[in-house]
Amino acid sequence: MDITAASGRTLVDSRGSSCPGPITDLAMAYRRAKVGDTIELWATDPGVKPDVQAWAAKTRNEIVSIEDQPDKIVAVLRILRR
Amino acid sequence: MPAESTSGALSIIMFSGTADKFIPLGVLAQAAAAMEMRVNVFVTGFALLGFTKKPNDLPFPAEFASMAPALAQGMKAARVQPWDAMLRQAKELGAKVYACSMMADVMGLKKADFNELIDDVVGAATFLEKAERGQTLFI
Repeated sequence: MDITAASGRTLVDSRGSSCPGPITDLAMAYRRAKVGDTIELWATDPGVKPDVQAWAAKTRNEIVSIEDQPDKIVAVLRILRR
Repeated sequence: MPAESTSGALSIIMFSGTADKFIPLGVLAQAAAAMEMRVNVFVTGFALLGFTKKPNDLPFPAEFASMAPALAQGMKAARVQPWDAMLRQAKELGAKVYACSMMADVMGLKKADFNELIDDVVGAATFLEKAERGQTLFI
């Protein structure tokens, strides 16, 4: 996991990590985040799209975008509650 | 854990003592903790042998034993964490792991014989009380 935090935006690089690594990395970033922050998750695990959606539904946070890129899946989440 | 967590609870009764069954224990405990769920694991039966300070070599079920090397290789290639690393990660996120007092006693295991993954040695009533109003899995 590689996290770079700058002014309310955190990049979580979970590429190469398999389930449940990416959502765990997301949860760790979430624990450190504040309401209004944005977390950008990079992952390559094929289950990450539905898993990020499930995580956001369960924790009631917002998915700004989920995008398939040639080399990774990029999910951007806005933290609405902690 | 966020104070207003409304995400519910997952309780896992870890009964099986074979190595393959410890994989879903690690995965589900870690995933549930990441989902901000309260996670309780109650370890009983031969599964207790996976939690002793003096490590035991957990066997594979006989019918899958021939596939064990390929599975280990596949998990390494996919960079899947070992089950105890996953459980440790779950505990970092708040999961609790309890050993069954009765089975520990039957197997001659004292609290001091368990490794740091075990938070406490408790009876069935304690677990049932913690598991109330959540989902419970038996592995």
